[in-house]
Amino acid sequence: MRVVVLVLALLSAAPVLAQGARAELACRFTGTDFVYDCLIRLTRAGQPLGGAQVVVGADMPSMPMAHNMAPVKATPGRQSGEYEARLDLEMTGEWAIKLRLSGPVRDQLVLHYEFDEQGARPAKRKARR
Amino acid sequence: MLLDLLQNTIDGAAAGASYALLAVGFTLIFGVLRRVNLSYGPAVMIGCYAATWLHLNFQSGLIVLALAAVAGTVLAGAYVERLCFAPHRSGSAIAAMVASFALWMQFEELATLVLPRHVYAFPLLHEGAPVEFLGLSLRPDALAVLGVAAILCALLQGLLHRTRFGLAVRATIENPHAASLAGIDPGRIFVLIFALASAIGGIAGFLIVATHGQVTPMLGMWATLKGLLAMMLGGLGSLRGAIVGALVLGQIEAHSQWFLGPQWRDLVAYLLLFALLAANPSWMTRWTISRSAS
Amino acid sequence: MDDFTLGLLTNVGLFSFLALSAYLLLLAGEMSFGQQAFFGVGAYAGGILTTLYGVPLPLAALAAMGLGALAAFLVGLPTLRLKGLYFAMATLAAAEIARLLFELLHFQREIEGELAGPDGTQGFRGIRWIFEQGIEAQEFLLLTYALLALVLAALLLVERSRLGVTLRSVGEDPELAAALGVNVNRFKLGVAASAGALAALGGVLFAHHNTFIEPRNFDIMLGVHSLAYALIGGLGTALGPLLGVALDIGVLEGSRIFGGARMIVFGGLVAVLLVLRPRGLLDEALVHCITSRALQRR
Repeated sequence: MRVVVLVLALLSAAPVLAQGARAELACRFTGTDFVYDCLIRLTRAGQPLGGAQVVVGADMPSMPMAHNMAPVKATPGRQSGEYEARLDLEMTGEWAIKLRLSGPVRDQLVLHYEFDEQGARPAKRKARR
Repeated sequence: MLLDLLQNTIDGAAAGASYALLAVGFTLIFGVLRRVNLSYGPAVMIGCYAATWLHLNFQSGLIVLALAAVAGTVLAGAYVERLCFAPHRSGSAIAAMVASFALWMQFEELATLVLPRHVYAFPLLHEGAPVEFLGLSLRPDALAVLGVAAILCALLQGLLHRTRFGLAVRATIENPHAASLAGIDPGRIFVLIFALASAIGGIAGFLIVATHGQVTPMLGMWATLKGLLAMMLGGLGSLRGAIVGALVLGQIEAHSQWFLGPQWRDLVAYLLLFALLAANPSWMTRWTISRSAS
Repeated sequence: MDDFTLGLLTNVGLFSFLALSAYLLLLAGEMSFGQQAFFGVGAYAGGILTTLYGVPLPLAALAAMGLGALAAFLVGLPTLRLKGLYFAMATLAAAEIARLLFELLHFQREIEGELAGPDGTQGFRGIRWIFEQGIEAQEFLLLTYALLALVLAALLLVERSRLGVTLRSVGEDPELAAALGVNVNRFKLGVAASAGALAALGGVLFAHHNTFIEPRNFDIMLGVHSLAYALIGGLGTALGPLLGVALDIGVLEGSRIFGGARMIVFGGLVAVLLVLRPRGLLDEALVHCITSRALQRR
């Protein structure tokens, strides 16, 4: 019954105007294989987005299903809109970082970063793998 | 224009030569066991990882690395044979194939556990610029790959046609039951063919990583796909067909990459395979390993 | 339920659609390496409809299923008469063609001041329909499993009917089935189209759960996984593929006791399992044994 109601609700639901959240990532290699301390900056409409619950997951897009990381909860950082998380990755290379937001905004963001011994930077996608 | 065409053909031949070795290994296993070994590429990858590990820890020379690649691939191949093919010899082909896929997962995980970076540099066969000749740029390492592939294929042909072992292999392919009545142990032939195919794969893998200059865990999937594709393009289960299919694949890739762009390289190859299969595969099925051997 | 468990359970549900799709074709005697293509078609079609055109998800899912069935029908038309490895390779080629076409697909429009839509190898970002509707993760999980239960009920019903008998006979002995008056080719096309629709439904849900899809999601790895799930779980009942998915994603990934060596444990387990039970855990003999016992008890 609940499902029928849910499906009906889905059919009739009007789109809610929502300004999407944006995220930026800065990571520092801790020296142990391959643990990174990451700082996540969330913004919405150019303003810092504070008070959100952020859960961080990671997947290796080039090796789907085989390599992923158990999601971790990010803790609020020093400034509003900043969150900190420690990521324990299995290997270097390109990772898809999945941020699941709840609280003032419910959303999911997927960021692609290249991780190595220096840290992380946005992945440049080549035309070919 | 003509020069481009010629250059593409040369580049394609070099790539095709390495595909040919992979396809020959694949075809040996398929021809004899009538089973697809999805772990063939990943076993080659394990061999290359063994060589990379030696390179990183002992800075071994190229000859040692090549031997390590072959030894690693043969060991991994033996493991696959014992766990996936020996138990299913008279049983389900699809169970054997799925089991070989399961070991692929193991190999990938093992590689990333031992060497956890996504990419490792591998020493090149030939450092330095390609040789310019009549406006063409020739890479000595690519020519070496071509030469090694040709020699290996000729040796293999000799082995299958001029030796008692070759006779036993061909008899087993024709009819394993009759062969066993004639005093040949098909189980032994299966194991030896598996080892031979793995050794060829190891050489192919070494040549590939030593011309590309890098190793990643993705090599496993890449080698399996290229080997399968070349084997299918050249019909199924014929050594000569596999070599032709591999050379054709190399040409298609080189020319479509140049004329249509890099995104089209694989697309054209798969379109061709699909069209060939959809059209009429009877010419493919006509070729068998024993035909080519006669 | 915490986020991890929720995500895990949802994934088990999503990949079950794909495993069931591979299972259907296995019953009809065909081994497909290409079901991931229809999963991808569903994901892209559903994502485009909800994100770029504001179509409600249920309608988008129906349309995507139709498209998945059509694509599977078109691939099946020239390939279903092929045997064994030839069919497997033809479907693999078709799936790789689909993936490479996704890489060439650039179709972006401005939505709320931001470009949205498939952008080739960069992928397709911001499939946010369920977030915009304020649908909670638990509700999405419920929806996924409700749909899965529906599909499962239909499949179990089919298996107990004449249709199910025909399906298995086509798979086991097509000549005999043809002699008994079954149009094997038309029947297999129907099975392939249904399997395509099933995979596409999984794809739509996957795209909306993940909010981001890219061509690499739909490569050969995914296809062979679904085939493996069906075979590990067993070919005796539609519950088999579900067991396969649950074993891999649920138990091994869920428990995390093996850490980084998860795939080594799983791979070895599968290989040994296939030696002991080549047609999977819940194979025909076991299912027959269970059902006949249940009947005797009555």
